[in-house]
Amino acid sequence: SPTGDSWGIFTFLCAALCNLPALPALNCSEELGAGQSIQQTYDLTRYLEHQLRTLAGTYLNYLGPPFNEPDFNPPRLARAERVPSATVDLDLWRGLTDNARLAANYRAYSRLLCYLRVLDGQVGTAELRHRLAHFCASLQGLVLSIGGVMSSLGYPLPAGPAGPPTPPGAPAAPNDFLKKMDDFWLLKELQTWLWRSAKDFNRLKKKVPPAVVTLRLEARGF
Amino acid sequence: DSHIQYERVGADVTMKCGSMDWDAAVTWTANGTDIDESRLNGSYLILKNVDLSQSGQYSCYEGSSWHLKYQTYLRVGTPPKEPVLMCRSNNYPKGFYCSWHLPTPTYIPNSFNISVIHGTKDMVCEKDAVPKNRCHIRYLQLFSTVKYKVTLTVTNALGKNFTTLTFDEFAIVKPDPPESVVAKPVPNNPRRLEVSWQNPSSWPDPESFPLKFFLRYRPLILDQWQHVELSDGTSHTITDAYAGKEYIIQVAAKDNDIGTWSDWSVAVHATPWTEEPKHLTTEAQITETTSASTSSFMAPPTTKICDKGAVVGSGAVAVCWTAGLVVAAYSVLFI
Repeated sequence: SPTGDSWGIFTFLCAALCNLPALPALNCSEELGAGQSIQQTYDLTRYLEHQLRTLAGTYLNYLGPPFNEPDFNPPRLARAERVPSATVDLDLWRGLTDNARLAANYRAYSRLLCYLRVLDGQVGTAELRHRLAHFCASLQGLVLSIGGVMSSLGYPLPAGPAGPPTPPGAPAAPNDFLKKMDDFWLLKELQTWLWRSAKDFNRLKKKVPPAVVTLRLEARGF
Repeated sequence: DSHIQYERVGADVTMKCGSMDWDAAVTWTANGTDIDESRLNGSYLILKNVDLSQSGQYSCYEGSSWHLKYQTYLRVGTPPKEPVLMCRSNNYPKGFYCSWHLPTPTYIPNSFNISVIHGTKDMVCEKDAVPKNRCHIRYLQLFSTVKYKVTLTVTNALGKNFTTLTFDEFAIVKPDPPESVVAKPVPNNPRRLEVSWQNPSSWPDPESFPLKFFLRYRPLILDQWQHVELSDGTSHTITDAYAGKEYIIQVAAKDNDIGTWSDWSVAVHATPWTEEPKHLTTEAQITETTSASTSSFMAPPTTKICDKGAVVGSGAVAVCWTAGLVVAAYSVLFI
């Protein structure tokens, strides 16, 4: 960890560079902010995970049996693959760069949000609509938060989906039961992503602590 | 020739003397002891409603020549009851282990077969040499939405039984308890105890998968625990210990986000720092020189509830003051 002296030097340099009018604007506080945004994003995933537990319980009851049975363990149908999966090879996950790690989260939640919004338009009860709307709003917040972390670290945001995702060749569910299966897997993937994100952001927290000493001069085109 | 025969407790067993005719003259022995003829039906040995004590070696000898015609080892037992299976990940994200046992013994050899299915994939659970009845699996993928289904089948000569567990990757995460728990008094602080511990050594990656901790402590003389939850760090200072009281302290661990709490660590004992009562030594010298009958005019420390610095506001305050007056009165006598 940085000693008091090197920290002092860093802030001095930062202040000096930021005040030179000839240089392009160097927002030194972005590095400092990244650590805190990561913590906030982590906290947000935990909050969402908690919210999802209530939402999923209500929604699965709305779908009815067998979806609301705790032992329900259906095979994964091919059509369910369009929902982004959090599952990843262990070594691959470990070796992800910060950029790749953040981008995977950003892409996943953007798409999951789209799917959830489609769901929101279809559900029957007012209570469910209300809960879904609230959850979508929080999830939107998470996407923005991840985007914020990426920007502050100088990473480009991945290109988001244009509209409601309908990949070519994947038709809407042909019957009511399969539609419910889609919903079931959507919620499951969402839950798994939130668990994974907690671990992703733990890793990021350690690599980008609140007080970062390295200057990202290279990224600024110096 | 000799072989092994398995029979259920309570069964009726008929042993034939090999290829000998029913009406041949034979002698049966059980573990070398002759069996009474009343148990025989011709040359057949009849054992009714067998129990465990009847396990042993049974031999059949031809009457006159005393040739050994047949020998069998009878093992009385039971078919297996439904086994007890437990799976747990104490080394997340490396993998998990499953361990099992039978609720009641069968008294005969059993073989166990374990199968693990993850979605459509069959996984191999590698058996551990020690302890027995345990196997472990390495995760190939992390953050899986598909559940694991573990089936344990137990088979013996008298029957078979099985049990199944289905679980999510996250549900079975339970670390081992924290290790090397140490509690020390803090010099010049009669109400503090410094506790420190280490991550369990089986937890492979505390950097990416940090643990949080739960500390509980109480003085030995009380039953009620006090609890502190700590989201990071492996040390904590207790600041509200009762002065002079011996404490028992334990710590538990949990992954920050998933799974369940570990078992409690080994308990450690510690007593907060107490000041050496200097005036006692001078008084003791006076009592010795005057050769008083009582060796000490202060009650033994362990039974006293009125130590210096005892918690103010306890119900024992009134008693403290009375004892204090008594002590003062006695000390005046000995001056």
